[in-house]
Amino acid sequence: MRRVFYLFREAWANMRANRTTTVVAILTTAFTLSCVGIFLLLYVNLRSAAGWLQEDIKIIVYLEDQLSREAVVELEDRLKSDRTVAATVFISKEQALGEFRAQFPEDSHLLEGLGQNPLPASFVVTLAPQFRSPDAVKRWTERVRTIGGVAKVDYNQEWIDALAGVIRYIELIAIGVGAILSTAAVTIIGNTIRLTLFSRREEEEILRLIGATRWFIRIPYLLEGAVLGACGSALSLLILKGGFELFRQQIGATGRLSGIEHMITFFPVSVCLALILVGIGLGFAGSFVSLRRFGDGRT
Amino acid sequence: MDAMIQLIHVSKTYDRRPALSDLTLEIEKGEFVLLMGPSGAGKSTLLRMLIAAETPDEGQIFVQGKNVTKLKRSEIPFLRRKVGTVFQDFRLLPKKSVFENVALPLLVQGASSVDIRRKVTEALRAVGVDHKKDQLPTGLSAGEQQRVCIARAIVNGPIVLLADEPTGNLDPERTAEIIELFKLINARGTTVVVATHDPQVMAQINRRAIVLQEGGRVRPSAHAMQVAG
Ligand SMILES: Nc1ncnc2c1ncn2[C@@H]1O[C@H](COP(=O)(O)OP(=O)(O)O)[C@@H](O)[C@H]1O
Ligand SMILES: [Mg+2]
Repeated sequence: MRRVFYLFREAWANMRANRTTTVVAILTTAFTLSCVGIFLLLYVNLRSAAGWLQEDIKIIVYLEDQLSREAVVELEDRLKSDRTVAATVFISKEQALGEFRAQFPEDSHLLEGLGQNPLPASFVVTLAPQFRSPDAVKRWTERVRTIGGVAKVDYNQEWIDALAGVIRYIELIAIGVGAILSTAAVTIIGNTIRLTLFSRREEEEILRLIGATRWFIRIPYLLEGAVLGACGSALSLLILKGGFELFRQQIGATGRLSGIEHMITFFPVSVCLALILVGIGLGFAGSFVSLRRFGDGRT
Repeated sequence: MDAMIQLIHVSKTYDRRPALSDLTLEIEKGEFVLLMGPSGAGKSTLLRMLIAAETPDEGQIFVQGKNVTKLKRSEIPFLRRKVGTVFQDFRLLPKKSVFENVALPLLVQGASSVDIRRKVTEALRAVGVDHKKDQLPTGLSAGEQQRVCIARAIVNGPIVLLADEPTGNLDPERTAEIIELFKLINARGTTVVVATHDPQVMAQINRRAIVLQEGGRVRPSAHAMQVAG
């Protein structure tokens, strides 16, 4: 117990002794992690936007024009008995025409000239929630396309595919930037620990000579690294939160993108805690690297 | 008699200059031995080897029957908890109080607060500086600092006490006091090895002397009196 207390006090004393470097290390770590955090925020929000779009996905199954009533009913039964289908709504040719007229009143004259109604009947299909992933949707449409009486299967594919592409891109950038800047954070913290190590060479030698184990000597430095990492990541979260609120206010004020400010979200508490843990891990790694390289000396 | 310390054909060379050459010797349990010889004879090297701070190029070293040249790195701290060391330059932590300095060997092995308080107070009393326990070592005289260093070395109840030129920074009066202290510690059963080239120490400790010569050869054993005289 006494020993634990001692080790914490040592770590604290080390940080106080090198106050300037400690503060600089925390600030640079915070700045570095903020850069990673921006990509993470972007990623998280696009992911949830993609999620909504995906949730909303409606598949339209267009029917061949000369289909008999019985064939339509048969097709409807077939779709409804499919366990991946949650709901189907039938839109007859007449309903389709009505909808078109309602939506594009100025253009309805385009249809007049054709004499007969050119719009096909269709089923609007909603898939069960667990089958709304891009892959599942693709597989389902490919299967249905081959059924007799089906002319065409459509959904807002481009949109979703494009967004998925962007998300994958940002994911890669986030991983790349995260890896590079995490290494930077480890180096920053490692350098700070190295300074402490050099300033305490003699004390360490004494500790070794009176029978301290390697871990007893190392623990204050590991604690110091962990505290630097925790403070750095906590500060970066504050910076990000501040920036995030400012951004939300800005787009709310311009009015052009209004509505979006209610859709974007900050990291949930669990992710914030995880990020602080990541900071602690980076700090540990930093001091560990320094201890490996500079701290062991002779026995 | 049991050998507490045993060196068998120990040699050590630094940059092709021999520091110790084919040294074989034995120190018995409870013995008080002087390790003498001119500066550069290898006294410090020998003491450092006994706590595995240095490894011999050749030969074996046993402390209480355990081969310290074969210790794993993780075992070395446990050897040092049994062997107290006193340095010429004291090696106290400047920012820690006298009490905290002496408590350090107990702290590193995870002793309880009660134990620490009791043993540190006892050790400080034994060396006569318990009234300065809350001061920083930098505010103490050289003689007092050496007493604190001795307290730190004995606070664990070590089986062996090693002292490397313990009076090198002290005036004759303090030297005499420190020597008495070592005699007292030895009288309680601790094996004591004092390395020195100080004639006063030799004169005052009339015990067996191991004399190292330049290049680390050992002269036949003698009593300190004979060497000094
Ligand atoms: N770490 C070292 N590196 C190189 N030479 C050393 C080292 N330690 C001791 N020596 C040399 O070994 C010889 C013995 O040194 P030392 O054991 O300190 O002698 P003493 O303590 O008797 O004065 C000396 O010549 C010294 O220069
Ligand atoms: Mg010496």
